[in-house]
Amino acid sequence: MDSQTLGSYMERSGHCEYLTLAFSPVSSPLRSRWRNNGLSADFLGDYVTTFLPESAGRARAERRQNEIKYSVTYIANELLENAMKYHERVVDTPIQIHLELTSDHITVSVSNGIGFEQGQRYKAFVERLLEGDAADMLLKQQLDSAKCDQSAMSGLGLLTMISDHDAQLGWRFDGDPALSEVMTVTTRAVLPLKDEQGVSA
Amino acid sequence: MKNISGESFEIRLEEDNHTVFFKGALRLSGTEDYAPILELLKETLANPPAPIALDLRELNFLNSSGITMFSRFVIEVRDHGGINLHVIASEAIPWHARSLKNLQRLMPSLTILLT
Repeated sequence: MDSQTLGSYMERSGHCEYLTLAFSPVSSPLRSRWRNNGLSADFLGDYVTTFLPESAGRARAERRQNEIKYSVTYIANELLENAMKYHERVVDTPIQIHLELTSDHITVSVSNGIGFEQGQRYKAFVERLLEGDAADMLLKQQLDSAKCDQSAMSGLGLLTMISDHDAQLGWRFDGDPALSEVMTVTTRAVLPLKDEQGVSA
Repeated sequence: MKNISGESFEIRLEEDNHTVFFKGALRLSGTEDYAPILELLKETLANPPAPIALDLRELNFLNSSGITMFSRFVIEVRDHGGINLHVIASEAIPWHARSLKNLQRLMPSLTILLT
């Protein structure tokens, strides 16, 4: 398998500010590294505010800036949590989180290596998500999660990004010609910047 | 009074008035880690039914596993029947207005007080 994209997956074009963090796929227990997700997500959320227009003293702009900061933090945290949970540890593929800012949108994307089976399950979920309505699916997932259905839980993060944060999601699955049992998945969330100017180009 | 706290959060149950206060950032890793908090929430369920309040005004971050925990509690309250559930939230915290409405979809009688 080579490469496949799903959803609205746009590659970078033109001028943008960017930041990438890469984590080695260490074998220490997930629990001991868990706080790392929050620390990194908080950093990214804070980092974007540097590039947003000065809002001091203007209540509405300040409020919008807070919303953007929260959305970036939430999305980065969810994407990292998923990547850390599902990362295939046998391959030496780093877990990367990448932030991009342009004048009209902010992009947060995370890539990691996953096992072939897990990748197929994720792809099937993405296909269902693209066919359905995120708000309805979210309600259904919430109801299913009450029945302790673990499988209902994964995916809730992605659904809330769409329904509560207006993110547009896209995915890229890359096969490794040398290792058919693993692939690299990139999940990308784009937040459109409506009334404010992003990076001054 | 009962408490649960972690590196980034504090939760306090006041049994007398069936109120649970949340403070900080909740980003635990899943159902298992959230189980003690869900159990604490369930202690507010009383016979005969009494109104329950969740005070989230100082809860500035909640991950999706935390949203799931609150969803499960709301469904539990709804199915228990005859209980008024009030969520006290803050306009200053971006996720409150956006995500709490999802809880209301699970239990339309739930009231959200944005302060």
